[in-house]
Amino acid sequence: MADYTTGKRIRDRRLAQEMTQAELAKRAGISAAYLNLIEHDKRQIGGSLLGKIADLLRTDLADLTGSVRQRLASDVLEIARALGTPDVDGIRAAQFADRHPEWARIFIRLHRAYRDADETAIALSDRLSQDPTVRELSHTVLSRVTAIRSFAEILQQHGDIGHSDRERFTTIITDQSDELAESAREMITLLGGSLGDARPTSPAEEVDDFFIHHGNHFPSLEDAAGELRARFERQPGTLGSQIAERLAALSETANRHEPAPPAHMPETTVRFAQARRLVVADLPDVLKSVIDDDRLTTDAARERALRAVASYAAAALLFPYERFLETAEQARYDIDRIGAIFAGSFEQVAHRLVTLRRPGAEGVPFAFLRSDAAGNLSKPLSISGLRMPRYGGSCPLWAVHAAFAVTDRPIVQLAVMPEGERYLFIARNVKKRMAAYGEPPVTFSVMLACDVAYSDRIVYGDGFTAARTSLETPVGHNCRSCRRVDCGQRAYAPVMLAGADAQGTVAG
Amino acid sequence: MARSVLIAEDEPYILESLMFLMSRAGYRVRAERDGAKAVAAAVHSQPDLMILDIMMPTLNGFEALKQLRATPGLEALRILVLSAKGQEADRRRMMALGADSFVTKPFSNKDLLATVETLIAEPRAKPANAASDTS
Repeated sequence: MADYTTGKRIRDRRLAQEMTQAELAKRAGISAAYLNLIEHDKRQIGGSLLGKIADLLRTDLADLTGSVRQRLASDVLEIARALGTPDVDGIRAAQFADRHPEWARIFIRLHRAYRDADETAIALSDRLSQDPTVRELSHTVLSRVTAIRSFAEILQQHGDIGHSDRERFTTIITDQSDELAESAREMITLLGGSLGDARPTSPAEEVDDFFIHHGNHFPSLEDAAGELRARFERQPGTLGSQIAERLAALSETANRHEPAPPAHMPETTVRFAQARRLVVADLPDVLKSVIDDDRLTTDAARERALRAVASYAAAALLFPYERFLETAEQARYDIDRIGAIFAGSFEQVAHRLVTLRRPGAEGVPFAFLRSDAAGNLSKPLSISGLRMPRYGGSCPLWAVHAAFAVTDRPIVQLAVMPEGERYLFIARNVKKRMAAYGEPPVTFSVMLACDVAYSDRIVYGDGFTAARTSLETPVGHNCRSCRRVDCGQRAYAPVMLAGADAQGTVAG
Repeated sequence: MARSVLIAEDEPYILESLMFLMSRAGYRVRAERDGAKAVAAAVHSQPDLMILDIMMPTLNGFEALKQLRATPGLEALRILVLSAKGQEADRRRMMALGADSFVTKPFSNKDLLATVETLIAEPRAKPANAASDTS
């Protein structure tokens, strides 16, 4: 995959559309000779020219830069490891994704379908073993079958039975068959509730895919939110008061789809929710055009995506791109400090930092991950080289898990992968809403991760610039793919190593 | 004198088919559809063999089995358990409680009759005891 460069991709896409070099070069506003150099990797290409060529070739930047294939390869590898397939390594996964991207997508879809089916089977199994109604129905079915079989055998094996007995036994078989069919129907009705919700893929995963495909950056939302903010800024009053005024002026109908947040929410949450209500009401066409994407295959996925892009637009409204990036750079990406300046929560600011991917005006590339206390992961966004887990759990040593034990500040970790790559992990425990007495608190841990090469640009890198191994935490991606056989936190044996030694340190 | 069989089964049609089979095989047959009544009937009529269903009202098969094996005077009673559960663990549990044999529903009439005949042909080898439920 390393040899399949951006230049070669441009050439392949151009030839596929039967376009000459001269034709494409003319439309892109460059010379044919320069395009020739680009296609043969003699010149680097990026920024607006690459975007223009992507448009002319009716594709997107990610396709030309190869990040789509990298993601596919990463997903294929992760699934292969989750399935315990030791023969598939990174190179093979990359070759597969590069040569057969459509098959790789089908493979990923099939895995999701398999996983959904597996989860459904477990749920049904639990239900069958624990639900008294199901137990009773199963017993009834078995009793009917027993009676039918027994009388059928009697009729077959006892030729001398009298006419009246024969008639009676035949009637019993008929009646019991009818009752058996009725019991089976009851069983189907009972289990139908569980089966009806089963889908081949989960909406959450479709939305994750959708965001990853767009590199978590949506220029049309940035532009629309920017125009909306500019309109507010021309009016007197603060942005907050402008938003509140506009919401009050909106009709009840316009507000209906995005209910107001409960009063006990933190101020940052209320403000964000107001901004989201506003963009839902004022930018419906932009939001809908963004989610008009064939990666979103179900109504549930489209609804979920709509909520997510509304949140994106709300963040773009509250945290305008240029100003936010400038502030982030000045504050050296101190999330709490940026949050204080823009009145945003840790999670809101962290999430916005990940979206700073505008070509030519990019911030530090961050990966993002959120976990609940049980280790259920959500909102995974990867960066080049660091894959955020989507299938199965992450390494238990990651800061995203340790952050639950520290409530008042972010924790920082210099994480070293088994292959030697080093990343800064910044994680913080966040409370989603204040709990009333007796109500369980909703808490998550939010983590940003970046290559250690950026540590001098971010405040969390202070103290980690010296190359001291005592500061490092040896981690992996997850137990299945990790080669650290001596890890005390190991939950599963690694698939890449065979033998008793590799199996022997599984934590009880 | 004909050997006697007590059938404890609450499903009327299964009971009817078992009664037909046992009568045809030449056994004297008595039947109960309730666990507690079946235990009382065993004490009263002293059958040679009892076919005991596990899922029964009032007193289930496990409890009935325990009581029967703890009752003096029933040491010779052969007990064949009918169960909807076919796992080896269920079989071991029944045998530990004092069952002499175990047949899973839906059963083959031929196999059931063969098991009954085998059990009745020989005196009960195991000493009767009030085996505890060790599962």
